[in-house]
Amino acid sequence: MRHSGASVSLLSIVGGLLIWEGISRFGVDNALFLAAPSQILYAIWQLALAGDLWRHIEISGIEFILGYVIAAILGIAVGLLMAESNRAKRILQPWISGIYATPTIALAPLFLLWLGIGIWSKVIVVITLVIFTVIINTEAGLRTTSSRLIEMLRSFGASRSQIFWKLSLPSAAPFVLAGLKLGIGRGLIGVVVAELFGSRAGLGQLISQSADSFNMPNLFAAVVVLATAGIVMTAGFSWLEKRLVPWTRD
Amino acid sequence: MAASTLAPKLGVAGLDKYFGSLEALRDINLAIADGEFISIVGPSGCGKTTFLRIVAGLEGASGGEVRIDGEMVKKPGIDRGFVFQSDNLLPWRTVFANTLIGPEVAGTADAGARRRVVDLLKLVGLGGFEQYFPRQLSGGMRQRVNLARALAVDPKILLMDEPFAALDAQTREIMQTELTRIWEQGRKTVLFVTHQIDEAVFLSDRIFVFARRPGRIREVVTVDLPRPRALALKRTPDFVRYVDHIWRLIEEDVRESVLVDKE
Repeated sequence: MRHSGASVSLLSIVGGLLIWEGISRFGVDNALFLAAPSQILYAIWQLALAGDLWRHIEISGIEFILGYVIAAILGIAVGLLMAESNRAKRILQPWISGIYATPTIALAPLFLLWLGIGIWSKVIVVITLVIFTVIINTEAGLRTTSSRLIEMLRSFGASRSQIFWKLSLPSAAPFVLAGLKLGIGRGLIGVVVAELFGSRAGLGQLISQSADSFNMPNLFAAVVVLATAGIVMTAGFSWLEKRLVPWTRD
Repeated sequence: MAASTLAPKLGVAGLDKYFGSLEALRDINLAIADGEFISIVGPSGCGKTTFLRIVAGLEGASGGEVRIDGEMVKKPGIDRGFVFQSDNLLPWRTVFANTLIGPEVAGTADAGARRRVVDLLKLVGLGGFEQYFPRQLSGGMRQRVNLARALAVDPKILLMDEPFAALDAQTREIMQTELTRIWEQGRKTVLFVTHQIDEAVFLSDRIFVFARRPGRIREVVTVDLPRPRALALKRTPDFVRYVDHIWRLIEEDVRESVLVDKE
């Protein structure tokens, strides 16, 4: 059953690509509006040969990784603080709820103004997009520690810190990983949109430059690279979840 | 059971417990000798689990005292091993690591404790399952780990809170014979809470029958049935007589609680 399910999905993708190819060749037939999958692949090949693609991927990659890692570390730390201290939670919660509900991506031009056209304005945008899902998930994970399991440890005379290390932290791990997984997509959006507002290089810059010159194959080439990065990283995280927190599988 | 001239293994004197204005336990007094298997039975709401939790130190008393080997109980500790109604296993730990958690918390998880855990898992019938995870085990097997975990700290007294209540009838009977078999080997002092009268008679040397509103001791029944005990014992007239006697003691309370719960 699983096997046939996977082949149906594959068939769906291949079929979709064929329809796309057909529409752009015979339906629209105008390279200014739509690029066919074959043209996109060719564009990626050309960009890779010229070396442009690698330069863009490198810049965007550095921006993403810096922002993502900083957001992950800070997010987990703040989540821990909020779960452990009610005072910290009371102070931070309204800000976090408020900022999380705000489309902070709209602040990208402001960060550009403050930090300039280089990578740091993008790093900050990635951080603001990733950090809140990490904070919220970490905090929720720590707070939902089973009271029955706490009692089991207490029956052996466990201290607060033993309960934290032996129980709360491992039982929060699936939540933290889920938050980090959600952060991948959000972080990629952050990089691209921040680069659209102003940058010297990067996949977002490639998109905006290609759009300005009506070069649809190059524009889609950047989108395909981004999509691939997102899919690969999310799949990597799913694999990591299976290894690290196998007990959450049913 | 011969009365000990020494301090009892477990001594409870004048124990009261209030939850707000609700009187949960009134003036509980009892003394349990070393190596006795004691059950507490009673209708729901008689405070039997509350009593066990106070002995464990998981709950504070409103008045009176609990002593183990003459020492006052104030908080939880590894002189008592608690077997919970739900197995409360840590899903990310193997059977072995789950069983070792008590010594680990107490800072005594040395090579000796590890050997002891291996032996205990053999004793409860889980030899060879050390590296399994809880999700790979049946309910009965998980309760065996629950028991081994409590025994791993080598407690002076084992406190068991309806550990077989969530199991199906057949598994429960098997676990009862398993528990008597395991108990015969070490003769640890056990305080066993249950609402199943036949379970209490089958396992115990003495049974404390609790009454409700407020929770108090109604009668102490000494079970004079030969050991070792096998399941066939449950069909003997002597056994049935004990069950009938205890049932009559709590019948009125149970009827009352059924009516109250219907309101």
